[in-house]
Amino acid sequence: MLIALWPRHWSRPQRSNATLVAALVLMVFMLALLGQILSFFPEPIGSNAQAFSDGARTTLWLTLVSGAVGLVLGTAAALARTARWIGLRWLAGFYIWAIRGTPLLVQILFVYFALPVLVPGLNLPDFAAAVVALGLNVGAYNAEAIRAGLLAVPRGQTEAARALGLGRGHVFFDVVFPQAFKISLPPLVSNFVALLKDSSLAYAIGVVELTNVGNRIQSATFQPIATLTTVALTYLLLTTLVTQLSNAIEHRFDVEGRIQ
Amino acid sequence: MNAPTPYIVAENVCKSFGTNQVLKDVSTHFNTGEVTVIIGASGSGKSTLLRAINRLEPHDSGIIRIGGVPVTDDPRTLQQQRCEVGMVFQQFNLFGHMNALDNVALAPRRLRHLARAQANEQAMTLLRRVGMQDHAQKYPWQLSGGQQQRVAIARALAMAPKVMLFDEPTSALDPEMVQEVLDVMRELARGGMTMIVVTHEMGFAREVADRVLFFDKGRIAHDAPPAEFFNNPGNDRIRAFIGRMGT
Repeated sequence: MLIALWPRHWSRPQRSNATLVAALVLMVFMLALLGQILSFFPEPIGSNAQAFSDGARTTLWLTLVSGAVGLVLGTAAALARTARWIGLRWLAGFYIWAIRGTPLLVQILFVYFALPVLVPGLNLPDFAAAVVALGLNVGAYNAEAIRAGLLAVPRGQTEAARALGLGRGHVFFDVVFPQAFKISLPPLVSNFVALLKDSSLAYAIGVVELTNVGNRIQSATFQPIATLTTVALTYLLLTTLVTQLSNAIEHRFDVEGRIQ
Repeated sequence: MNAPTPYIVAENVCKSFGTNQVLKDVSTHFNTGEVTVIIGASGSGKSTLLRAINRLEPHDSGIIRIGGVPVTDDPRTLQQQRCEVGMVFQQFNLFGHMNALDNVALAPRRLRHLARAQANEQAMTLLRRVGMQDHAQKYPWQLSGGQQQRVAIARALAMAPKVMLFDEPTSALDPEMVQEVLDVMRELARGGMTMIVVTHEMGFAREVADRVLFFDKGRIAHDAPPAEFFNNPGNDRIRAFIGRMGT
């Protein structure tokens, strides 16, 4: 959407950079001004605008931190699954199997309630527990998205790089990863958007994020339609901005001009 | 005239894929400054020998020496050897996310730690040599097959190799693009480059090769200078093969 705004004679990198900057600025503005904007809304939104705004900020923060954890974990697990050493492949396979086979809500409850019992002294605060559970969860899905990208890079690419005398590190970082990342980007973005919405489950362990805020106001004011619609629209606004960012990144990497 | 010095030596090289033995006790040598053309039916082991020389396909037994040093998995000597041996592939294998210039400049930047400007300048010289200077900023998908292969040759030359291996460099090309690639290879041969070329281009073999090897079922069935090879084939299988290739 944003990409179409720029003049047609701008080059592809110029347009994608402009989109990236615009989307980031919009996101910061939105977070800063959400409270003020919502305060103009009729009751019961107006009087609770600050609570909504804080909730949205917590949701985005939760998503960004666990998304970063998930990206690192996912890359590590994808590499482990394609490693030569069978122990690593087995470990990564077990992680993906266990996480994808159990509900996210159970994982969040497990990290918050069961982990302190299993490991005495490891009493994570609610936000940290949510980050651990969400990061572990999205990491497993990211691992498969990244593995798909790694496997989609033709064998001839690594052979050509090795034949030039490039070492393992250079073959991976200069040749394989940039091409794999481009292929993995759309599924990674899907995972990230899903994470933004799934972060609402953190409300089960008392994290005061957007859904939790909405639900509290809803039960206090008996006005479910207004409050829940506001919650839903705020999520929609956040996912729209995230999608603009990812579109810009995708466009940046599209040297073949295949994205119309 | 000086006696030719063997630069690459293969002794009793064997290689199997599962139960299929593709190289059977292959022993031969390649001299400095010579152009060797390897021909033979597909599956006869000619590409596998090339790929064993730079260890893309490790051999099972026997020894391959490059300049006297055995080819092994030791990372340091292997990297050194791969820099001395350039390789050109049937499917070009240009890096799709880089333009032609970056494709050529990558290895010198990473392995010789050249600054970008210096590496680009050197890459431009190589692109000029293969007639691709006007396409330096283009990505592989914007180039024709013949153009891609010429960039791939420039890329293989970037580390200043002493030997160039060509693995069926024109087999994936439309007929009208074959000549532009062969012209570049002819130019290289004229400059004294040591070359080992797996190809089905009999005209190129006749004209440019110092020596023709015929592979048959994993063995070197015939080894002769081109004039003798084509005018007086060693046996009926070779005669039949040359006949099928239409020269």
